[in-house]
Amino acid sequence: MSDMQTQTGEPLLRIEGLTKFFPVSGGKRLFAVNKVTLEVGKGETLGIVGESGCGKSSMGRTILKVYEPNEGKIVFDGKDITKLSRKKMLPYRKRMQMIFQDPYASLNPRLTVGDIIEEPMTIHKIGTPASRKAKVQELIGVVGLKPDHIRRFPHEFSGGQRQRIGIARTLALEPDFIVCDEPISALDVSIQAQVINLLERIQKERGLSYLFIAHDLEMVHHISHKIGVMYLGHLVEYGDADEIYKRPKHPYTQALISASPVADPKSAREKHRIILEGEVPSPLDPPPGCPFSGRCPHVRDECRQILPDMYDYAGRKVACLQYSPKAQGITLQ
Amino acid sequence: MTETELTRKLLPEEKNDEFIAIESETFLQAAWRKFRGNKRALIGMVVLIFVVLAALFGPFLCPFSYETQLPEKNAPMSLLHFFGTDKFGRDIFVRILYGARISLSVGFVAAIINLIFGTLYGGIAGYVGGKLDILMMRLVDIIYSVPPTLYVVLIMLMFGPSVTSVMIGISISSWMGMAQIVRSNVMSLKEQEFTMAAFVLGAGDSRILIKHLLVNTMGPIIVTVTLMVPQAIFTEAWLSFLGVGISAPMASWGTLAQDARSLIEVYPMQTVFPMLAICITIFAFNFVGEGLGTALDPKQKH
Ligand SMILES: Nc1ncnc2c1ncn2[C@@H]1O[C@H](COP(=O)(O)OP(=O)(O)O)[C@@H](O)[C@H]1O
Ligand SMILES: [Mg+2]
Repeated sequence: MSDMQTQTGEPLLRIEGLTKFFPVSGGKRLFAVNKVTLEVGKGETLGIVGESGCGKSSMGRTILKVYEPNEGKIVFDGKDITKLSRKKMLPYRKRMQMIFQDPYASLNPRLTVGDIIEEPMTIHKIGTPASRKAKVQELIGVVGLKPDHIRRFPHEFSGGQRQRIGIARTLALEPDFIVCDEPISALDVSIQAQVINLLERIQKERGLSYLFIAHDLEMVHHISHKIGVMYLGHLVEYGDADEIYKRPKHPYTQALISASPVADPKSAREKHRIILEGEVPSPLDPPPGCPFSGRCPHVRDECRQILPDMYDYAGRKVACLQYSPKAQGITLQ
Repeated sequence: MTETELTRKLLPEEKNDEFIAIESETFLQAAWRKFRGNKRALIGMVVLIFVVLAALFGPFLCPFSYETQLPEKNAPMSLLHFFGTDKFGRDIFVRILYGARISLSVGFVAAIINLIFGTLYGGIAGYVGGKLDILMMRLVDIIYSVPPTLYVVLIMLMFGPSVTSVMIGISISSWMGMAQIVRSNVMSLKEQEFTMAAFVLGAGDSRILIKHLLVNTMGPIIVTVTLMVPQAIFTEAWLSFLGVGISAPMASWGTLAQDARSLIEVYPMQTVFPMLAICITIFAFNFVGEGLGTALDPKQKH
């Protein structure tokens, strides 16, 4: 897949040590996103995978400042937006958008499709009422709906069509960056490909960047330039999509890939399923050391004490002590 | 964006081949269809229309005013005096028509004040949440703890006995139910994804609250307002019957019943007629409110 970086090489979005915790009863903190650092280039798709509850949605929402970040930095197009007030965020809202998981819940049931798609332009005072109406007409066509759908209500549409309405609403602001939070997981399998194709085409035509959240690694590999794997709020592996999919390094990524159904029987690697023992620990009570240590087939003593950094290894970043510079030094000797 | 994009054909693999399963029907059309199917609600509505029209235009068609004292006192029912006359020789039917104006306006004014104040209060408490919500709801509990009659009496002492005082008193003591209903609806709606979508799009608080949260609470709000009217009519009638409400020569239905009470053993019908008017109107409003409740509830399909 082509990598469309800008000349300057500055990524569109960069987050550094981003942390979001929720206060829960008993004065505890639930770390939904824990010191995550990553980048999304212009025109690029970063796929985020991980089991349900690992903090994918929380990360997407924190990036869009639906949740206030507790630590770390969000830099969008060279500007630190971490501390921007809701009002100062407004110009960025035009550029950073979101597509939601549940097409039933993400559209206001009392507004017509036309009103739903027009609302973002009204909020940002874009154009005249007439030009907005024209834009709605145009967007309806872009996402593959019909002009007479404009006066209808969301409940009259199927899941896939509603997701198209949501996409049209998002495009009304002509954003550069969209967080897609599992946009197809609530849809019929037969409809999923249509929506994916639509998102890919829009990206090609408009040079958009996506943070694409999903739990299906196969599909994420298909549409992403880069992949980030999350576990218990931590980013555990991050790098080129193809590299990670074909040669996963983190034991958790390896387990995820071995568990996904094989699409390519001629795959060079001999597929044997890695069965993970135990349950995902509660994010309220994470194990000391590496978050994956309790279930890792390669666990060593030090894993239960030291929280691994993201180490550079084999052209990607991996948070596993096997790949720490020290461990690599030992192997080299 | 260019024309080509507008007219561009979709690639075959991204065409949407899903069908629209439900025929087009707006929220209000669906509600009206369900409401029509409810006989009691329909009867209630017809009765209400009749009562309102009678209150508005009835007095113009009558030969006497509510004050006119005729020589014939305590007359029985006749073609000239449908419900007879009272101890001062005033036509009871005419007085009930005028009374309808007072009783209904007390009901409607209280309901409208409730609608505006209760909705805003509950909406803000539910939307902002946290400490403000706790504080606002504590205040509601305090207002609840005082009996409604007391508010009316206090207002009357301050501003003198008048229809306005009764309206203010009843309004002050009755908006809390609306506030609580709106608050709980807003609290659950604000957790829905469409609220987050509006936030991410950059919508301000008042837009989110009004266009997204309150619009979706329309059903419960309409039902509560409808049920508020008979409740206010009843409170007013009850107060007037106790002698704390509206006083002569103006007369609400409650006052009429009260006036006739001294003669109840001799001329019971003089008390029965205004009471019937109260009962019929209150039942009609409740039937309509109940019908609206089912019609506006999205969970009830048919
Ligand atoms: N608003 C919230 N308050 C408290 N805990 C939350 C909240 N949102 C998410 N969580 C918790 O944070 C963790 C990550 O959730 P989420 O980001 O939804 O994961 P994912 O999208 O990967 O399924 C979960 O344990 C979840 O229970
Ligand atoms: Mg999620």
